[in-house]
Amino acid sequence: MGNVNSSVTLALANGVPLDTLVLMLILPIIVTMIAFFRQVVGIKAFGIYTPAIITFALLATNQIKYGITIFVTVIIVGTITRYLLKKARLLYLPRVAIMITVVGFSILLLLFVGGTWNRTGLASVSIFPILIMITLVEKFIAVQIEKGNRAAVILSFETLFISVIGYYIASWPQLIKIILHYPWISLLTIPINIFLGKWTGLRLSEYFRFRQIIKPR
Amino acid sequence: MTSFFKARRNILGMNARNLRFIRPNNLRRARLLADDKLLSKKFLEKAELPVPNLLAKISDFEELENFNWDSLPESWVLKPNRGFGGEGILIVYGKKKNVGNTWIKADGSLVTAEDLKTHIRNIIDGSFSLAGVPDVAFFEERLKILKLFKPYAYKGVPDIRIIVYNKVPVIAMLRLPTRESDGKANLQQGAIGVGIDMATGVTTTAVFGKGKMIEYIPGTRLLLSGIKIPHWKDILLMAVRAQEVSRLGFLGADIAIDRDKGTVFLELNARPGLSIQIANMDGLLGRLRRVEDLKIKTAEKGVSVGMNLFGGEIEEEIEDISGKKIIGTVEKVKLIGKDGKEIEVEAKIDTGAYSTSIDANLAASLGFGETLEKFSQIDFSTSEVTPEKELETKKKILEGYKDEIPDLTDVAVIFSASGSSIRPVVNLEFILDEKKILSKTNIVERSDLKYPMIIGRRDLKKFLIEVK
Repeated sequence: MGNVNSSVTLALANGVPLDTLVLMLILPIIVTMIAFFRQVVGIKAFGIYTPAIITFALLATNQIKYGITIFVTVIIVGTITRYLLKKARLLYLPRVAIMITVVGFSILLLLFVGGTWNRTGLASVSIFPILIMITLVEKFIAVQIEKGNRAAVILSFETLFISVIGYYIASWPQLIKIILHYPWISLLTIPINIFLGKWTGLRLSEYFRFRQIIKPR
Repeated sequence: MTSFFKARRNILGMNARNLRFIRPNNLRRARLLADDKLLSKKFLEKAELPVPNLLAKISDFEELENFNWDSLPESWVLKPNRGFGGEGILIVYGKKKNVGNTWIKADGSLVTAEDLKTHIRNIIDGSFSLAGVPDVAFFEERLKILKLFKPYAYKGVPDIRIIVYNKVPVIAMLRLPTRESDGKANLQQGAIGVGIDMATGVTTTAVFGKGKMIEYIPGTRLLLSGIKIPHWKDILLMAVRAQEVSRLGFLGADIAIDRDKGTVFLELNARPGLSIQIANMDGLLGRLRRVEDLKIKTAEKGVSVGMNLFGGEIEEEIEDISGKKIIGTVEKVKLIGKDGKEIEVEAKIDTGAYSTSIDANLAASLGFGETLEKFSQIDFSTSEVTPEKELETKKKILEGYKDEIPDLTDVAVIFSASGSSIRPVVNLEFILDEKKILSKTNIVERSDLKYPMIIGRRDLKKFLIEVK
C-alpha cells in the first residue's frame, strides 16, 4: 500500500478494516451507476437497494458464476412456487414465508449437489450473500403482484445485469487504487447525481419504445 | 434527419413526466385523493360528475364476518380501494339460481361467498395495495357495455383515457380490453389503445399492448380507425371538470359509457402512462408546451381550445388544400321538403350515376306526391325511348305537361342495364356534410333497394370521396 491517501492511512491505523473502507468508498459509485442506468439508459431493476445489495452479495461469493447461479435459482424457484401457491389463496406474509422456505431448501439442495459434483466453490459460498439472495424473493413477489409475471422476470434480469456491472466496477483494481489514493473522488458522485436528478431528456430505452413516432414518416 | 429531431423533441419521456409535470402539478394531497378510489368517488359526486354507484364497503374483518351477502344485487364489481393496475378486481355477471350466494364470472366459473371472504381478507390485508398497507374492499355496480363497442371489446367495458393539463384536454385514447389483458383496459397488461382525434372524437391509429401498431382487432376484420365516440364533447367536459375538483394539474381521466346511464367517470389518475403517445402517433410534450401558458377560465373554454388545437388535422389538411370536403360512400343527408319539412336519410354516393335520384315514397313525403301522381298518368307508349331520340322525347313531354304538373322542372330519360325509363325531375334542396346543394333530382321507385337515395356526379363537385 504505497500510494495511499493520508486520511486512509490514518483510518487503517485506527483499526478500520481495508475491505470496509474500500466498499464504503465504492458504494457511492455503485449507487450512482444504478441511478444513471435508470435515468439515462432506462434499465429499471428493483429500485436502488436491491441491485446495490446484490452487487455486494456477488462480491462476497468467491466466484461470480456461483452468485449468478444462486440468483437465477431463486428467481426460477420463486416463480414456480408462486404459481403453485396461487390456488391456495393465502394471505401475503404467510405466502412469502412459505416461498422463502421453499427457495431456501432449493438453495441448500443446490449447494449439496454442487458439493457432490466437486464444485466445492459453490458449497463454500458464505451464508450472508446466500441469505441476501433468498430474501430477494419478497421483492420479486411484490413486483409480480404489482406488475405481473413478465415484468417481474424482466426486472429481475435487469437487476442481475446492473449488479454484474457493479461487481466488475467494484472489483476493478485500478479504481480501487485511485480511490484509496484520492478517497474524496467518491464525493464527485453528488454533483453527478444532481445532474441526473434534473435530467428531463428521453431515456435510451424510450428511443426504442417510441420508435414508431420518432422515425420519419 | 430534421424530422427525427422534431419528433424526438415532442415526445414526453418518463423523466420529464415526473419532474416537469407530475411533481409541480400534482401535489401530495391531490395524489392521495387519486389513489383513494372511495374518496375520489365522493369528491366527483359532489362535483355532480356521474360515477358508478357504491353498493357496499368492508373495512375490517368484523364487518366482513357480519356482512349481509343477500344485500348484493345480481351483478357487481369488487375492488380494493387502493388497488392499482387492475389487480384484485373481481367482476360477476349474474347470480346462480337456487344456490345460496353464488355468483358467475365472465368465463362461467363460480364464486361462492366463501371464496369472496378469502379474497376480501386479502384486500383488507393489503395484498393489492401499494406498499402493502391495510386496505378497504368495496362493491360497486357493474357497468354495461355500449352496443357500439361490443364487437371491439373482450369481456370488459372499454374506457376513454384523457390527459388534461391546464384545463385543456390534450390527448385521448380509447382503451379496449382484449383476451391478452384478461378483460382489463390496461395497456401494460395487453389491452388495445386507439388514438382519438380531439376535434371530432373519431378514432385514428391503434397500438396493441406496449408497442405493436395495428389496424384491425387481431384475428378479425374490424377496423379500429373511424369509430365515432358518442357524447364526445360531454366526455371532454367531464375530464376538465374532474381536473378542477381534484386539483390534479396533470390528470389522467378515465371515463366510460354505460348502456343505460351514459357517460360515467371511472377513475382519477395522478401518474398517467406514456403509451397514449404511441396510440396517437404523436408526442405529448409538444402538445403540453402549446397549452402551458394559456390562461383558461372555464372548462368549456378549455374543451374548445383542446378540440381546436389537437384535432381534425388529417382531414382538414386535405380539405384546406383542395377546398373540398371529404365524404364516404354512404352519407347521412338532410332533405328539405316543399313546405320546409326536413327528412334525414342515408344516401349512397354513386359516381357511376350522372344525376341524383330519390325514391317515390320519399318524394311523396317531401311534398311531391301530386307531381308523381300526375306524371304517372301520362301515356308514354307513343314516345320512343332510344338514345337517338332522347332530346326530342324529353322536349315533347316537358312542353306538353309543364303547366299541368306542379314542380316538374325537367324529364329524365335513363338508359340502364335493367331497362330504360322516363322519370320526372324536380328541384330538391339537401344538405350533405354541412353543404347546401340545390339538385335536379329525378324520382323513381327504389323501395326494393337498400338506400332511398343516390347522389350522382352532378351534385358531387364540392366533395372528395374516400373509399374505405
